[in-house]
Amino acid sequence: MVKNEQIAVENAHHCVGNYDRMYTRNRHKKVNGSAKSTKHTCVFASICFAEKKETTTKKEEDWIFMKKFVTLMLALAMTISALGALAEADGKITIWTWDPTFNIKAMQIAKEMYQKDHPDVEIDIQEKLSEDIETAVIASNGDTTTLPDILLVQDNSFQKFVTNYPEVYADLTGKYDYEGFAQGKLAYSIVDGKNHGIPFDAGTAVAAYRTDYLEAAGYTADDLKDITWERFIEIGRDVKAKTGRPMLSGQAGAVDTVLIMLQSCGASMFNEDGSVNLKDNEQLKEVIDFYATMVKEGIFIEVNTWDEYIGTLSNQTVVGTIQGCWILSTIMSLDTQKGLWAMTNLPKLVKAEGATNYSSNGGSSWAIVNDKDLDLALDFMQMYRNVDFYNEILPATSAIATYTPAKEGSNYTAGSEFFNGEPIFAEIVEFGAQTPSNITGPYYYDAREALGTAITNIILQGGDVDTELATAEDTVNFTMGF
Amino acid sequence: MTNTASAQKKKKRLSMHQKQSLAGWAFLTPATLLIFIMSFYPMFSALLTSFKRGKPTALVWSDPLWRNYQFMLKDKVFIQSVTNTLTYLIIQVPIMLILAVIFASLLNNRDLKFRGLFRTCIFLPCATGLVAYSMIFRTLFTYDGMVNNVLIKLGVLSEAINWLNDPIYAKAVIIIGLVWRWTGYNMVFYLSAMQSIDYSIYEAARIDGANSVQQLMRITIPLLRPIILVTAIMSTNGTLQLFDESVNLTRGGPGNMTITMSHYIYNTMFTKNPNFGYAAAMSFVILVMVAVLAAVQMKVGDKR
Repeated sequence: MVKNEQIAVENAHHCVGNYDRMYTRNRHKKVNGSAKSTKHTCVFASICFAEKKETTTKKEEDWIFMKKFVTLMLALAMTISALGALAEADGKITIWTWDPTFNIKAMQIAKEMYQKDHPDVEIDIQEKLSEDIETAVIASNGDTTTLPDILLVQDNSFQKFVTNYPEVYADLTGKYDYEGFAQGKLAYSIVDGKNHGIPFDAGTAVAAYRTDYLEAAGYTADDLKDITWERFIEIGRDVKAKTGRPMLSGQAGAVDTVLIMLQSCGASMFNEDGSVNLKDNEQLKEVIDFYATMVKEGIFIEVNTWDEYIGTLSNQTVVGTIQGCWILSTIMSLDTQKGLWAMTNLPKLVKAEGATNYSSNGGSSWAIVNDKDLDLALDFMQMYRNVDFYNEILPATSAIATYTPAKEGSNYTAGSEFFNGEPIFAEIVEFGAQTPSNITGPYYYDAREALGTAITNIILQGGDVDTELATAEDTVNFTMGF
Repeated sequence: MTNTASAQKKKKRLSMHQKQSLAGWAFLTPATLLIFIMSFYPMFSALLTSFKRGKPTALVWSDPLWRNYQFMLKDKVFIQSVTNTLTYLIIQVPIMLILAVIFASLLNNRDLKFRGLFRTCIFLPCATGLVAYSMIFRTLFTYDGMVNNVLIKLGVLSEAINWLNDPIYAKAVIIIGLVWRWTGYNMVFYLSAMQSIDYSIYEAARIDGANSVQQLMRITIPLLRPIILVTAIMSTNGTLQLFDESVNLTRGGPGNMTITMSHYIYNTMFTKNPNFGYAAAMSFVILVMVAVLAAVQMKVGDKR
């Protein structure tokens, strides 16, 4: 035994070098065990370390085999379980949505209310940013096993996603009662005449201003109600001269404000037939005219990031903001500014036909994914026809319903403490009723990006409006022409 | 008896070789298979996709097969992204490599104290996450960010520059970020190559009256030529595929003015109406550009 050991160790040392030479050396030695087993040992040793024993007993061989088998089984098990993470109809509802103060909170309230009557249904709400949800849908390429049961889709992207991934978004026509939802809002989730979504929050645009800064310049919030953009710019100049503060802020290149202004007169970046409407869009040119004037005179400051935009509100750099009503939840989270804000409607365009003081920006709808727990999800989504539900989520999230019967709810007619007792929510629902709808289509984001580039060029480099809009239209036509 | 024994031994030796090569193949096969399945097959599949068009789940062959490539030449945003990427390449890579050579030759000095500390400091940016540093640079270069404040306090600027909203300054921010991050990486390459240069050469040069600049130009750089070639190719490759800075630092810049090719491909796939065929076609154009530039650099640089 000792002799074998010695030989094995000696061979192991030589194994690191020339394999052939080692084997030759081995052959000449007389060994008690078989030459074969010593050779195998040396093969093993040339890769790992020198073995102490040169033969393995049956028991040890069995143990080594067991270890390998168990490892293999574990690896297989882990792979398979990873694949079956989000299985199909599993009696559990998975929801993807974003914004813990808004959408997630609303869904949590819906979950609580639903589980009162259905305690055995499991509902899992997962936080996922809007861009991440969109990326996940595209990356899934139509495979619904990696997607949840219900997901939230921005109204602006709805058409794009349903057109490109019809197998993912379930057709809810006839399966869900759409009576009572605002038509303008419902239009976003109707593709080819079929309903694919359940409307959620209204993106009705509001104008919110700091009453203390307005007072310092000698104005009240009423002076900014039902006015035109010309009057707004006059007031803006005055306020800037007297308080040094700009009236509004927004993210550069994000064109939120421009599109809000455009929608206020019912115009869109697209025509009814789906063609691009940028170059000859007279309303757009009027909007850009006002916008450029405001930026140039410092009445509207463009900041670089979304966080900076929120910063202008929390750091009290600006007098107010014009944004979708979902901004109110952010404003109301600024405890130190309680009672200093007032809300009113938007200024309207002057020359454009059909100009109104109302518009919208954003808002989203829920979509249900195909091939999953469709009936269970639909049953759960009946919550979105429940007036008590909308009444409940209003003070918690400021999510304004697009379900018209909800406006009778007690919280809607009540005053808001933050806004000095004004019944802002009932006002917003009224605004919503007068908001013109707009046309989005699958290429909305392409057009939005092209318009953003055009406006950046106009403002930063003094480009000519007509040329820039023509370039933007060409860019979108190019993308559409693939 | 001996003959058969030796014949047997010969046979055994042949099969030993065979067994050796078999063992070699056995160990190579899993890795080769993985590379084929994970790299080559997707590449080939992407090439096929670049000849298709339509909705992502319903791709059909393009009418002239190279339709996507034809469109690419007319796409203004694509041309803008190519121009941007080439601008970064032409400005950033030479600055970075020259700085790396200078730092390396400074740190190669045996008499310099705290060499290890300096080396670590210059190399540390390389270990930061791409997204993390891009986001921090974005915060630093905002209108009321630290850079503006410091420069105004020092009197270099009279008024804050809007770095991220200006077409030229936004590109400058990206170039500054890239130089900050990758100089250390290349410097380490050069430092290790310099270890193989005999110290006596420098001594001889000093005796002959060469100052440090001449030493750098006449001795160090020619001897580092192969390493400079390697780092140049790697830097070109990396800069042409620039993505994280464009997405996180400038978000494509004020209206597409700092967007890079990879960022535009990402937008085509995920942000705008998804167009897989076109995105695949653009990816192949990047591949061709990288290959061509690498070949040119090898031709020019490699004396072998």
